[in-house]
Amino acid sequence: MKYMILVYASQRDYDAMVGKPAPGEPGWTGADFAAMGQFMEQFSSDLAESGELVDTQGLTAPSQARRIRLAGGTPAVTDGPYAEAEEVLAGYWIVECDSLDRATGIASRLSNTPGPEHVRARAYADVRPLAESRHELDG
Amino acid sequence: MADVPEPGTRAEDLLRDLAPQVLGALTRRYGHFGLAEDAVQEALLAAASQWPADGIPASPRGWLITVAARRLTDLLRAEQARRHREKAAAQQVPADHWLAAGADVPPAAADDTLVLLFLCCHPALSPASQVALTLRAVGGLTTAEIARAFLVPEATMTRRITRAKQAIADGGAEFTMPQPGERAARLAAVVQVIYLIFTEGYASTSGPSLLRPDLCAEAIRLARMLRALLPGDAEVTGLLALLLLTDARRPARTGPGGLPVPMAEQDRGKWDAPRIAEGTALVTEALRRGPPGPYQVQAAIAALHDEAATAEETDWPQILALYEVLMQASDNPVVALNHAVAAAMVHGPRVGLDLLDNVGADQRIAAGHRLHTVRANLLEMAGERDAARDAYRRAAELTASPPHQRYLNARAARLAGQAS
Repeated sequence: MKYMILVYASQRDYDAMVGKPAPGEPGWTGADFAAMGQFMEQFSSDLAESGELVDTQGLTAPSQARRIRLAGGTPAVTDGPYAEAEEVLAGYWIVECDSLDRATGIASRLSNTPGPEHVRARAYADVRPLAESRHELDG
Repeated sequence: MADVPEPGTRAEDLLRDLAPQVLGALTRRYGHFGLAEDAVQEALLAAASQWPADGIPASPRGWLITVAARRLTDLLRAEQARRHREKAAAQQVPADHWLAAGADVPPAAADDTLVLLFLCCHPALSPASQVALTLRAVGGLTTAEIARAFLVPEATMTRRITRAKQAIADGGAEFTMPQPGERAARLAAVVQVIYLIFTEGYASTSGPSLLRPDLCAEAIRLARMLRALLPGDAEVTGLLALLLLTDARRPARTGPGGLPVPMAEQDRGKWDAPRIAEGTALVTEALRRGPPGPYQVQAAIAALHDEAATAEETDWPQILALYEVLMQASDNPVVALNHAVAAAMVHGPRVGLDLLDNVGADQRIAAGHRLHTVRANLLEMAGERDAARDAYRRAAELTASPPHQRYLNARAARLAGQAS
């Protein structure tokens, strides 16, 4: 089975991480940032080594996003459609393993991600099983 | 030092060196490049598991050719059986074709390696496919290792290599040296592929990369191999010089936390002196041979940077002259950007900023962060702090790399602090 592990962040979180914190908010130190990068790299490396990693990507800040929706019957594009504090997908791993419990165990390791305490306190990861394709259902 | 790659065992090094020779010999004798490539990979795997236990055979190359040829025969039989099943017997390769090249006068292994490089960098392939195939067939890396190096799933890389081999087979490419008339263009493609392998490794060196084979070291190994094959080619020598002179600065180009350190602020004591000496000697030798090609000019620029004991002692007038040579040879906007920087260092930031206005008209570079980063640097040099700060912030918004964003935002914050 394949599972997707998803992590979230707001524009405010992204700004704080790259050294542009909102006024009055504590930022990330260089050491915080380096430790986080090292942890993430090791986490993905371990998954590649165990053969469970299918794909992983990090997403750029929500301000870079575009939303497309119908407006009066024609597609309209909105730049940066999210509110400053809105949490949106920041990155994902797709893993292939035996069970939801195993995928949960993998995702639980993310709770050790280093970072400023106030960020760690509200961070979370979701695990979602991927839907099988129609082809596999028919088979 | 942490960033020096672990030396492989003797058997591993030997296998990597022999891989292209064995594949060359097999393809020359039997044709079927795609299947031969698979057979050689399997022979390499067999050697990697058997040699450390049983000892290295007296003739390692002969051992590998024997094992790979046996495997290729199996693969060809299976392929033939498959074709029979598909009732496509008419397309069979006649058996006498298998022995096209006489085995009595084996061509030099070195020529085989060169032909193999030309084949892997065949114009029918995309640059990404050329790179992947070269790393596997000439570099002797496994598909899994190449996939890790490019951070793509192994299945993706397998497909890319399979398609590349298919494209070569479909194109009817022969395992022979290119005709003299097309040789220069084909060699340029090989040089370009080795350069691409290097830049891929150089651009991604941030933080500990436990699983990524060192693409910079691999590119340098391939460039050395190519130079050994074509010692008289000035552009090949220029390529090796450029890679060595650029790689020499690697230990100093990232600071604590993986943040980039600009060249002017690097600790030059960390630069690799033996690499600089070797690269400088090579570029000097290449430049003696007549009008230089772009790799030699870039190597000469790298040598001028590397030879300066401090950033202030950099010979900017000479670098500016070399960028002018490069500008005449290509319309690469990155070259134009570096030319503007050199002009600013020689004639002052205003001259550089004026040149940047022209560069900014090029859509290939206007949307990226580099133009704004350079503009910010020059505005800071000119003492225009507010404009410099805005340019750093704009550059930070345009890069997708968090370490770069941190660096650029820190520069912007520093200027804001000074202004108030």
